[in-house]
Amino acid sequence: MDHGSPSQEHVSHLALDIGGSLTKLDYFSRNNECSNGDNNEEKSCSKESLLVSNGDKKCPVLQGRLHFAKFETSKINDCLEFIQRNQLHLGGCQHGGAPGNEKRIIKATGGGAYKNADLFKEKLGIFLDKEDEMDCLVAGANFLLKAVHEEAYTYIDGRKEFVQIDRDDLYPYLLVNIGSGVSMIKVDGDGKYERVSGTNVGGGTFWGLGRLLTKCESFDELLELSHRGNNRVIDMLVGDIYGGMDYTKFGLSSTTIASSFGKAISDNKEIEDYNAEDVARSLLRMISNNIGQISYLNALRFGLKRIFFGGFFIRGHAYTMDTISVGVNFWSKGEAKALFLRHEGFLGALGAFTSYEKHGFGDSIVRQLVQQSPLSASHAGYKIHGPLNGEWNDNESIECSVYVN
Amino acid sequence: MAGPRESPILETNDIKEERREEVSLDKNKPEDKERERERDNNMAPPAGSSIHRSSSRPQLDLSKAAIQGNSEERDPTILLPNQSDDISSHLALDIGGSLIKLVYFSRHEDHSTDDKRKKNVKERLGISNGNRRSYPILGGRLHFVKFETHKINECLDFIYSKRLHHGIDSHSWLTDAPTNENATIKATGGGAYKFADFFRQRLGVTLDKEDEMDCLVAGANFLLKAIRHEAFTHREGQKEFVQIDHNELFPYLLVNIGSGVSMIKVDGDGKFQRVSGTNVGGGTYWGLGRLLTKCKSFDELLELSQRGDNRTIDMLVGDIYGGMDYSKIGLSASTIASSFGKAISENKELGDYRPEDISLSLLRMISYNIGQISYLNALRFGLKRIFFGGFFIRGHAYTMDTISFAVKFWSKGEAQAMFLRHEGFLGALGAFMSHEKHGLDDVMVHQLVERFPMGAPYTGGKIHGPPLGDLNEKISWMEKFVLKGTEIIAPVPMAPPGTTGLGGFEVPSSKGGTLRSDASALNVGVLHLVPTLEVFPLLADPKMYEPNTIDLTDHGELEYWFTVLSEHLPDLVDKAVASEGGTEDAKRRGDAFARAFSAHLARLMEEPTAYGKLGLANLLELREECLREFQFVDAYRSIKQRENEASLAVLPDLLMELDSMSEEARLLTLIEGVLAANIFDWGSRACVDLYNKGTIIEIYRMSRDKMQRPWRVDDFDVFKERMLGSGDQKPRPHKRALLFVDNSGADVVLGMLPLARELLRRGTEVVLVANSLPALNDVTAMELPDIVAEAAKHCDVLRRAAEAGGLLVDAMVSGQDGSKESSSLVPLMVVENGCGSPCIDLRQVSSELAAAAKDADLIILEGMGRALHTNFNARFKCNALKLAMVKNQRLAEKLIKGNIYDCVCRYEPAR
Repeated sequence: MDHGSPSQEHVSHLALDIGGSLTKLDYFSRNNECSNGDNNEEKSCSKESLLVSNGDKKCPVLQGRLHFAKFETSKINDCLEFIQRNQLHLGGCQHGGAPGNEKRIIKATGGGAYKNADLFKEKLGIFLDKEDEMDCLVAGANFLLKAVHEEAYTYIDGRKEFVQIDRDDLYPYLLVNIGSGVSMIKVDGDGKYERVSGTNVGGGTFWGLGRLLTKCESFDELLELSHRGNNRVIDMLVGDIYGGMDYTKFGLSSTTIASSFGKAISDNKEIEDYNAEDVARSLLRMISNNIGQISYLNALRFGLKRIFFGGFFIRGHAYTMDTISVGVNFWSKGEAKALFLRHEGFLGALGAFTSYEKHGFGDSIVRQLVQQSPLSASHAGYKIHGPLNGEWNDNESIECSVYVN
Repeated sequence: MAGPRESPILETNDIKEERREEVSLDKNKPEDKERERERDNNMAPPAGSSIHRSSSRPQLDLSKAAIQGNSEERDPTILLPNQSDDISSHLALDIGGSLIKLVYFSRHEDHSTDDKRKKNVKERLGISNGNRRSYPILGGRLHFVKFETHKINECLDFIYSKRLHHGIDSHSWLTDAPTNENATIKATGGGAYKFADFFRQRLGVTLDKEDEMDCLVAGANFLLKAIRHEAFTHREGQKEFVQIDHNELFPYLLVNIGSGVSMIKVDGDGKFQRVSGTNVGGGTYWGLGRLLTKCKSFDELLELSQRGDNRTIDMLVGDIYGGMDYSKIGLSASTIASSFGKAISENKELGDYRPEDISLSLLRMISYNIGQISYLNALRFGLKRIFFGGFFIRGHAYTMDTISFAVKFWSKGEAQAMFLRHEGFLGALGAFMSHEKHGLDDVMVHQLVERFPMGAPYTGGKIHGPPLGDLNEKISWMEKFVLKGTEIIAPVPMAPPGTTGLGGFEVPSSKGGTLRSDASALNVGVLHLVPTLEVFPLLADPKMYEPNTIDLTDHGELEYWFTVLSEHLPDLVDKAVASEGGTEDAKRRGDAFARAFSAHLARLMEEPTAYGKLGLANLLELREECLREFQFVDAYRSIKQRENEASLAVLPDLLMELDSMSEEARLLTLIEGVLAANIFDWGSRACVDLYNKGTIIEIYRMSRDKMQRPWRVDDFDVFKERMLGSGDQKPRPHKRALLFVDNSGADVVLGMLPLARELLRRGTEVVLVANSLPALNDVTAMELPDIVAEAAKHCDVLRRAAEAGGLLVDAMVSGQDGSKESSSLVPLMVVENGCGSPCIDLRQVSSELAAAAKDADLIILEGMGRALHTNFNARFKCNALKLAMVKNQRLAEKLIKGNIYDCVCRYEPAR
């Protein structure tokens, strides 16, 4: 996938999701249009084209791409630099149509939208227009599930299987967003949802504990390690307690984890005596399994058939998905299935992006996209075990045509 | 206000004579003892044999010696044979991943005594031998012990030294006991499989594996049904015991947090389903904790957490939202958004974090998670109650708070987390229950008494050779702490406390901020199974009955009573040591007792709910138990004897005086006499001071003279009307009156006996209800027949009634014929109440008393302990009269808005 050179494309909209660990951003750029203008023109051009589009119904007026990028929140300056360099912030909308550079507004969500508001104002002169996190997550998920072909998939025993979901049969579903923490949201329709549960044992826990235990430098490194690990070294399995026998009466096989990290108590081993790989693996299983279980219990509680897992914890990581799937499958006795989203990490940012419509800017763009033509996604394919180097990584873009009423 | 307070009469100085008398009594001790033994053999076999409530039960030793005709001097070697009545009949193990829990039962041999008083009482009360069959279970004690699994050898040593694997008596191990090749021990938990060979090799026993879940459920069901204050809620550091109606127990969710977590839906006995669980449990906490903090033990890790601040490691909602609440979804800024989430964004390494903070973050993460998953499962099955058990909790306040918070948070306050005092022993108890004849099938709440003896085989969780079986070791154990110069602040059992619930004295009990928990487990005592205990049948509403009048959950109240008991302690020790002849041995035991009891007090001050729900009655009883534990049979023996003698000497004069009065004046004088004589109370500080200032008779006279009506609580007129009627109407006399007597000496002799005599004269049967075991200077059921016999020498009414009641069978040969002939006479009887405390909990009384209550239509409760501290608010199915002099200013203010020495005469007609 050619990322192209963003600065040469026409940037229409930028939206941010500033989470506790990661900052996600997505922006729309038109292909091959207005690419010669300078930055100021870019901005006006974008606006113009939108205005034009409003008059012309049922025609694809904008061809472009949705780009996705992410940064570690702790290195938010990299993110600011990225925006600055690519002039992304200039594609935002001017408040109240005021001329010049006044009051540039960028949609943002996530806790950091509050925390870092001043920083964005100082550095880039833009105002973060805070969108509610849950609103954004749900809007993002609804958008993806309705608009993007082959967005959802199951992952069982290493096999990825796309699931086509009937748009009319989408609701209700449980959306589990695994960020630093985990939110569980019952979604009943567009803008209709309720945060029914959550857990504080999430991606932040994995990374935080993982860093302390393994000295990994990044989340992705930790994931990479876990891939090569063996949790039996550290977890207390049913077999360890029952001397290798299954405790079959309750359907527990000898390899079922009885107690995560439970073996670390009986050995005279110190932390250095364990392979970092094994530690990472145990940790991943513990957290994935737990999220899978709590999600299933909540789905059960509300009679929800589908559970979609999103958020940056997953990152398309096979073993994570496998563990969550196993967890859901185990506790539901096969009746519930875990579904994953290809754009899992960008739900919030996408939702923030779609929220522009609420305010009259770019109204209907996304809606029309959704309703009239599923995007033909040309997606880059995640580098599943790729390292996160803080900039321009794991990004992808969706080529899209925008139809307008 | 009219009490004898500040009375100048009391300034008299002729007490020296009294004191000299005391000294001479001590000198004549051997003679005294001789007399005593004679009496024991001839007349009043001890009542203790059916009441196995004290841990050392010295009374039993005496009785056995008597029955066997052993005339040797009483000494510790006689004590032992009797303790060998304890047969360690059953042992069960729960061998978990981290800890081994052990439950064993030591049984008492059933004494079918030839106690004639009892036999007579039984005949009188219609307790046939057939009735005995309603107590098919034998009394005994249930012990709880735990070991760390990786120190399994200590467990084996313990079993071996206690000979638990043979199922035989624990003290006859000096003799050659036959080894049972095929001995089996019930065991559950994963280790029952893993260590099966080990047990066979080391002890030659086979582990009989019981299903883990079966055991957990059986254990929980037993505890919830049989122990009154087993379950409690825990919110913001406050424990509240919950009494659960048996009929409403099921269904419930049982969450057992061991290495892993099991969640079990329980629908009834043996009816349950494991519905869920989680692999994030106690093992995770300990395992991760070890890796992250290098703690050497689970307890150390828990201890660390108490000084931790999880905000340095957890990512809070406030951290994400810049200090703002995310109130829209009900998350406050301090809610944990992501456990350990802060460990990612900073450039800190593991070594840069405080182990305390790590431990706390970990604890919160796991507790919160368990609470949440439990609630979701309860919700799923519509279960109202969630009980949390297992060794992860360990009575650790912060853990319980976190779990409670999670359940409350996620259920929006609709579900409640509850905890069990014996949380760690569910599996072991259940395995025990799987014995075909474990004897606990039909145990009822009222048959179990929990005791908290000192002297476990553990200090700080370490086993020190063989278990402390004998008193000497126990005392040495106490002394060791003194030698070490360790102040006994509070016996905080950070480590497995063994059977006593005590240990780990060295742990300081500092309190910190809000996160600081109590650092302690709830103590688990020894459960004494006393099958003969029953609920007092005349209670109007047994379910609502609460014996304690004073609520010790009020901290000020608690502090006050602790001070009272502490101040009284030196005097009590003096008396106790003197009662045992003031020998070096007695002094040593006295010191040990004082230390042990102080430790109990300190422990309870730190954690008032440590021994279950705490009332004043429990506190007073604890003191008596503690005395008995250090083999102070009867600290006030000589004092009681002296006062009885002095009072009996003036009884004839008093009776003559009474007989000269009109019926109406007599009744008033009698009640006045009871109230006046109730001043003789060694349990009251104020009265101990009085004792030092005057003779018994002087005090009594003065006290009675000062009786001026109206008393602070004065229902005398109503009572009088019931007794004497008004005008020409003569009311029917009561059929039978139960007189709950209080102190020895003037109180019983000059107060209650004359009242009993009056009732007898009016045709009412009288049953004197007295303590089974000594408490302070309270008269016991064992002593009463002597006193009555002595009184009867001067009074025909008493003599005939006593004969009719079978009290004088041995004393007077002629009486035996008389009792047969005169069965139509109203009898005077003595029954034991089943307890050894200055107070009485009417939910647990002797079967004798319960039987005597059947035909009773009048109850007279006398004295502070039985009528004020307890039962002041109790209501009965029959008429009840509560008589007491308040000998404590604070109690007087609190209870009757009066002053010290005010009197209570409360009469409550049948409901």
